[in-house]
Amino acid sequence: MRHGGGNYIVQHGVGIALTRIPGVGRFMACSLALLGLWMAPFAYAALGPTGENIQLQISPRICTLTGNDKQCETPVHAQWRSSHEESLCLVIVARPDVKRCWEHYAEGTYTIQLTFAEDLTFQLRDLSLEHVLASEALRVIREALRYRHKRRQPWNIFD
Amino acid sequence: MGWRAIGHIAAVLGLLCCMDVAFAEDDGCAAAPGAARSDDCVAVGGWNLSVALGAGIRTNPVVHSKDIPLVVVPQFSYYGKRFFIDNLDPGVTLFEGDENTLSLIASPGYDRVFFYRSDLQNFFLGGATSVAGGGQTALVPVARTGETFRQIPESPRKITYLAGPEWTFKYAAVSGQLDYLHEITGRNHGDEIRGALGIPLGRLGGTWTANVGVTWKSAGIVNYYYGVPDLYNAGSVLNPFAKIGYSRSLSSKWKLEAFVHCERLGNAIADSPIIRAHYVTTAFVGATYVIHK
Repeated sequence: MRHGGGNYIVQHGVGIALTRIPGVGRFMACSLALLGLWMAPFAYAALGPTGENIQLQISPRICTLTGNDKQCETPVHAQWRSSHEESLCLVIVARPDVKRCWEHYAEGTYTIQLTFAEDLTFQLRDLSLEHVLASEALRVIREALRYRHKRRQPWNIFD
Repeated sequence: MGWRAIGHIAAVLGLLCCMDVAFAEDDGCAAAPGAARSDDCVAVGGWNLSVALGAGIRTNPVVHSKDIPLVVVPQFSYYGKRFFIDNLDPGVTLFEGDENTLSLIASPGYDRVFFYRSDLQNFFLGGATSVAGGGQTALVPVARTGETFRQIPESPRKITYLAGPEWTFKYAAVSGQLDYLHEITGRNHGDEIRGALGIPLGRLGGTWTANVGVTWKSAGIVNYYYGVPDLYNAGSVLNPFAKIGYSRSLSSKWKLEAFVHCERLGNAIADSPIIRAHYVTTAFVGATYVIHK
């Protein structure tokens, strides 16, 4: 991020830019920069979680249906990690029965036995469930089966 | 059936499997994954095994032979892209459309089951003249010769296989089958035509169906089973049959099934001195359990 031709500081997640202010010396500029660094966490808390630092991983990420399988039945392990404490909930879209919340944690894990036939979307949301902070999908893939007609055999006594 | 005959069958089937024949995709069974398909469709590469347990009986028209009980009837099938095996009938599909299918099939000669209870067809209930049950392995008929009776010398009736084209079709809800088969195991060199229609009758507490058809057998086949040397030389025969069937699904694994099947033996068979009846009736009531589908 760059503004004009002055010094700049980029903090991971939150960018603070300093531009050259006429009449203000290098000392002031450095002081302001330090102040900005010190203020950043407060500003971040005031803005609320942005989700940019939160990583969500699920395992498995793909379930393959083979043969006559109608649905997947498998334990799913979800893990999230953040660079700072968060208060959030793990939910699955269209599955209101699944909800796991953490308050003031920087990481969390959750394992659940699931039965599903379609893709599942796992989301980390804030406690009010209004903002999505991170999202991952568990895909369902059906093995490409070819079908053909059974033999029609009305002559057969058991057909 | 000797090893040479088995070798011939294997060679023919192997050749057919390798033939690069035209194979049309079937529109009716090629629906998207997860979409509904009719019960007529099976997955390529899948195999099916089920067993019917119940009580039934089949009359045996051979003189001095007992009617045959039906208790356990296994059913097996496998469908590859072209190759299939349906109980004892292997085949290769040459063309498959939504309404018409053309295959080359091989099928055992059924009449042997009246004379050998250990015949495999007595376990895999197949065609219009097959039976199931256990018991003695060779039935020696005693024939009427005028006003006296005479012991018929036992003539071996070997396992035979017939092979030829099979056309099956579906028109509206009616399914049809027409086979022209030639005996390929070198026992009688006979021919056989099998034709049948399957007609759904409706649903009243289950599914009701009616099957009607005919089997034409050349003189070679009829004589091989029903001829008596120096006494009876048969001609060709036409055997019509009719069947009423009932089926009701009880669960994903169990199905209730019942049928009555009646076949009229043509004169060339019924007039044989080793035959005592003009009709063969088969009736069965039981539950079918799907072991693998």
